[in-house]
Parts: sequence; C-alpha cells; structure tokens
Amino acid sequence: MDIGGYVGRLLRVDLSNGKTSMEELNQPFIEKWVGGVGWGAAYLYQEVPASVKWSDPENRLIWTTGPLAGSGVYGAGTFNVTSKGPLTNLAGASQANGFFGAYLKFSGFDGIIFQGKASQLSYLIIKDGKAEIRDAGHLAGKDVWETEDALRKELGVKEKEVSVFGIGPSGENKVLYSAIVGDRGHLAAHNGLGAVMGSKNLKAVVAYRGKRNFEIKDPQLLKEKNDALFEHAKGFGVFYKWGTGGGFSALHGIGCLPVKNYATNIFPEHERMNGQYMRTHFEIRPMPCYMCRIAHVKEVTVTEGPYKGFVGEEPEYEQLAAWGPQIGNTDLGAVVMLTREVDRLGMDCNEASWTIGWVMECYEKGILSKKDLDGLDMSWGNVEAVKTLLDKIAKREGVGDLLAEGVMRASQKVGGEAVGWGIYTKKGCTPRSHDHRGGRWAELLDTCLTNTSTLESTWAGVHTPLVDLPAVSDPFSHEEMSTLNAKFNGIRQFDDCLGICRIASTNPKLVLDCLNAVTGWNLSLEDAFHIGRRVVNQLRVFNFRQGMKKEDERPSQRYGSIPVDGPAKGKNIMEKWDWMLENYYTLMGWDPKTGKPLPETLKKLDLEELIKDL
Amino acid sequence: MNRVTIELWLWLGSELQGDFESLSPMRSLREEKIEEGTNIRQLLDLLARRYPPLARVVFDLEAQRLHPYVVLNYNGSVISPYVLYDQVLKDGDKITVLPMYMGG
Repeated sequence: MDIGGYVGRLLRVDLSNGKTSMEELNQPFIEKWVGGVGWGAAYLYQEVPASVKWSDPENRLIWTTGPLAGSGVYGAGTFNVTSKGPLTNLAGASQANGFFGAYLKFSGFDGIIFQGKASQLSYLIIKDGKAEIRDAGHLAGKDVWETEDALRKELGVKEKEVSVFGIGPSGENKVLYSAIVGDRGHLAAHNGLGAVMGSKNLKAVVAYRGKRNFEIKDPQLLKEKNDALFEHAKGFGVFYKWGTGGGFSALHGIGCLPVKNYATNIFPEHERMNGQYMRTHFEIRPMPCYMCRIAHVKEVTVTEGPYKGFVGEEPEYEQLAAWGPQIGNTDLGAVVMLTREVDRLGMDCNEASWTIGWVMECYEKGILSKKDLDGLDMSWGNVEAVKTLLDKIAKREGVGDLLAEGVMRASQKVGGEAVGWGIYTKKGCTPRSHDHRGGRWAELLDTCLTNTSTLESTWAGVHTPLVDLPAVSDPFSHEEMSTLNAKFNGIRQFDDCLGICRIASTNPKLVLDCLNAVTGWNLSLEDAFHIGRRVVNQLRVFNFRQGMKKEDERPSQRYGSIPVDGPAKGKNIMEKWDWMLENYYTLMGWDPKTGKPLPETLKKLDLEELIKDL
Repeated sequence: MNRVTIELWLWLGSELQGDFESLSPMRSLREEKIEEGTNIRQLLDLLARRYPPLARVVFDLEAQRLHPYVVLNYNGSVISPYVLYDQVLKDGDKITVLPMYMGG
C-alpha cells in the first residue's frame, strides 16, 4: 500500500468468545472512505442489519482513527466512534480528542471493531500490535477518572504512557445518553455510545503510547502547512485566548443562550459566566491534547463563591450553557462542579441538562412534586439537587430510572402538558446547549436533519468563504439557511474522517494540504466534499433501512417554538419548515417528498449497491 | 442632533482602544452625535471611514454592507441587514455589532 498516514490494519474484538483478530485494510477501501466516520459508516452499513437493536450483541461499536491522527499535525489525537445509538435507534457518530487516536495507531491499529458481548465486565489493552481482553470486575461502579487511575496503577505506567477511554456508572447502567470518556475529560458523547459500550460489558480500552509506525510522504511540506494551520487557528475567533466559552456572551447577544428551558432569552449574568471572566478570575492550567499548540483545554481552580477551591476541567461553552442559564444557575463555580460531576459519571452534558431543565420546569409548574422526585427540591438554580439527581440518573435509582431515558421519552411518559415542554428532535436526541431559535437557524435545521445525532453540515452558518461559498447575510432567512445547510454538507463529515480536532482544523484548505502531505494524495476541496457527501448518504440510507421517516426530521414543539423575548423575539422558523426541508432535500439530490437519496445521487457517489435497499 | 450608541463585541473593538471606551474584555462602546434622518448604513459608513479597523472587520465600504462574519443587534433585536440598512436612527438608539460566532 503506497499511502502515508496509515498503519493499514484494523483490530476486530469479539467480546462474546474473547477472540481478537487483525484485518488488513486495502487501498481502494481507504481511498473511498479515508478513515474515522467514513470507515464507521462503511462497516456499520455492512455489519448491522435493521433487525439489530442498539443493545444487541450483534450491534457494532466501531472506533476509528484517520490519516492525520499521530501524524504530527498539531492536536491530531482524535478518534471517532460509530454505532447504532440508543437515543435515535439510528446511526450515531461522535469524536473524542485527547491522545487515543494517536496512541492507537502507534500501538499498531487504525481502528477497532467491537462485536458481541462479554460474559463479565472487561477491558481491552493494546500494545505493540497485540491486544488482550482482561477482567474488569474490580472496576465496576468506578467513575471514569477512578477507572483511569486504577488502570494506570495496575499497569504500573505514568500518566502519558497510556491513553484510557471508558465508561462510568452511567454507561454500565445503560443510561441512554452515556458517553465514552477518557484522557482526563475528553468525551465521545453523542447518541449514547457509552450505553452501547455498557451493553457489551466493555468498561475501558487502554492504548500504549508506542512509536510512530507509518510513513509521512512529505515531512517538509507537512511542517510548513502545519505551521500555517496553527497560525490560522490562533487568529480565528476567540478559541486561542478565551476557549470555547469566549463566545458565551456573543451567543447571548444573538439570542442563542438557552435560559430555563427556553422560558426566556435574557440572562443578565452572562458576563460573569463567560470564558473571559473565567480566565481572568479563576486559576487556569493548560491540559493540551496530543501535540497541541492551541491548548484550549484547561484545568481550572475555582477562586470565589461557594465552590471556592474546587478543581475541575474548564467548562467548554456547552457546559457553561448547560449548567448555567439552562438550569437557572448564576454561579460559575457551580458550573465547574457540575461539569466535573457529569464527566466523571460519564454522560453527555447536553441531554442531561435538557432533561434536568425540563424537570425543573415541571417542578415549577406543579407537574412533578418532591414526592415524584425522591424528595428533591428541583427549583431553578438548586445545583446541589442537580448533583444528587445526576447521581441517581447514572445509577438508575428512583426517579433517575425514568430520566435515564432522556427528555423525549421521559416527557412522553409523564404526559399531559409536560410533553410539549421537552427540547429534542423527533428522532429522539436533544440539540447541543444552544437556543437555536436565535441566530442559529442553520444549526436547528442541521440538528433535526443530521444522520448521526450531532451536527452534520454547518458551521452555524459562519465562515462559508473558507470553503468558497457565499457569505450569509440573514441568519433568519428560511431560504438562505436551508440552502447553506445543503451547500455546506460534506466538508464536516470529511473532517471527521481524518482524526483531527475541530478547534485545530479551522481552515479546510490547509487541513487538506496537511492531508495531502501526509498521504501523498492530491485531493481538492471538491474531492473532500464528494467523500464527505458519500459518508452522509451512506449513513442516511442506513437510517432509512432502520426505519427512519421524513416525519422524524422536525423539532419538538418547544424546540421549534417562537422566542418570547430577547434578540430573536418573534422569529418563527416553523412557518416555512416543510419548504425548508424540500429545498434542502432537492439540493442534496434527495427526493423532495420523502427525503430519500435518489438513485442518480447514489450512483454519482459510487454507492450504487445501496439503491436496492431503498 | 441625535445621540446614538454603538457597541462592539469581542475582537471587533480590539484595535480601537482610545476611540471606543473599553467596558470589559469583550465590549467596547462609543456614543456618537448624528444628524437628524441618518440611517444605519450612513452611520456605519461614517464610522468605517473614520476608523479603518471598522472598515476591515465590520462594514465593507466598497460593497456598502456588513462583512460576512458580523451580525447587527438594533435596540436589543437581531434584524435582517436588508431591513436594517435603511432604518433611520432615533435619539437614544443602540446598535450592537457582534461577530457571527462559530463553535461552542
């Protein structure tokens, strides 16, 4: 195989019989799917038929890196997880940063396919091209941080000698929004992939650091392009200086900060909860991912308020919104505390926060009482009650068992008016922690249309010229936003094939230059879109095969409602929803009435073999 | 004459210290006296000619429109630029210019 950036081998782990085997990757397969979510989509389609439920041993849990992981491109230690996910019962794909993507390759594999179910809780260890399944009974019930500590101690290794990703109590108890967590706070969080891991009795995976074992085709060119990519990311927005929380107040300014389950869009305390405030008031220490020069990930010590002295990972934007305004909390220290709590239990902060915000609204309006909530006072802002409730959810204890199903299922079970208060898509998952009804219509549409349960196409309608598309002039235009989603679709999924962090890959053309330097390819931006669209269509046909319907591509009543105040007051995305869908479907080469990819679209993408399944 | 306020968020005001009052690491503000009947496009044009950084990051003088990455908030509401450009400013009005923020 004459391509740089690949080890050329996958590891297959059959947890039912305890056997591991290696599979060589051939050049046409690599060129067609590249890696990451591309390989995930290909294997998922091939190996998971419609009859398989997310929790069946026959479901696959596919961990894949890409050609940039471990290549020396800064921040490229990312890996992708693909599976049939529990929240949507459709495809799920999610990326985690940290070190694992690089270490897995250095240990001898481009990816791992897990199948079957272990008879007892187990973990996998990978070193020098070999893999071993070990008993993890002693790790049962441990949170993800304790699991990392216990495994490092047991193996007698230092912090950076291994990368560990696993599940906490949440995943073991198959909470539907469990995450796979590792390297001290990095998560593959969307669509409950941690619950799939729990259903397979797989507690953790350990990869040793190893040494680079694949070729870089043009190291000098790679150095040059990598430096240029870093300079671009450094000057891009606020990430370098203030982290993702640096945009917290800007989002408030366009009506995108979720406050108390969409009760309002006004949160006067936003300037005491943003990245600027945190980094100028709290003690901050960098915790960079593999070879990262941006180092936007930090550890933080709270220096004021009731949680003074608390040490945790610095909340990202999503966690600031999730554990601040969405639950009516105005104390930044409490956000740090809850962020640590959710991560350590191994959950997606988004679904957890939308669920708890919904509980708080139900409590405020008398639909749920203390009696229903195991004695908890779920008033807005009661962060200690939130902490207790999160623990109950992770253990499926008392009311936690209901809430472990996520906001759509919990609200449907409670019934009555409360059904209308949940914020989710009809596919069954919640959005990220924004109020997309503000100047983020592109993401509202994207969240409802996605084939993986997380964003598929947009960059929130921003930075279109980076991929040679016209600039958006009106974030509240039904036509512009639906057209943008279609035109933009492909490039993000291509990125997710590569094994690189999104904060590092701010310029798609420079990322492509790095990729070509590593692999020896000569891919153009058009090629990248084409490959990304192939992944999108493959996942979409998979989802239709699993029973997805056009009617599922809508927001819940509250998610699609009209803001009552704030910068986006009165804006109504739903008045032309069906038109937006048809416009988007048409531009994507899909049937405007059903949303199914047309045969000619699949042919253009070299996916003829899928036509019979539609 | 009318008095209006223009506020720049995040990095949009980073090169305008001295001309704009810095309220916090993320907000800079300036009060401006304008002629009766001035609309938003005319105000942005006037400011962009006077302060070159604004022409680079907020208002494209040649195209006479906002740069792609910013959004305008007029008296607390985000409104389509198509509507906003011709909006005549009243005494006490406030315009906030925000970067269209990716990520989070």
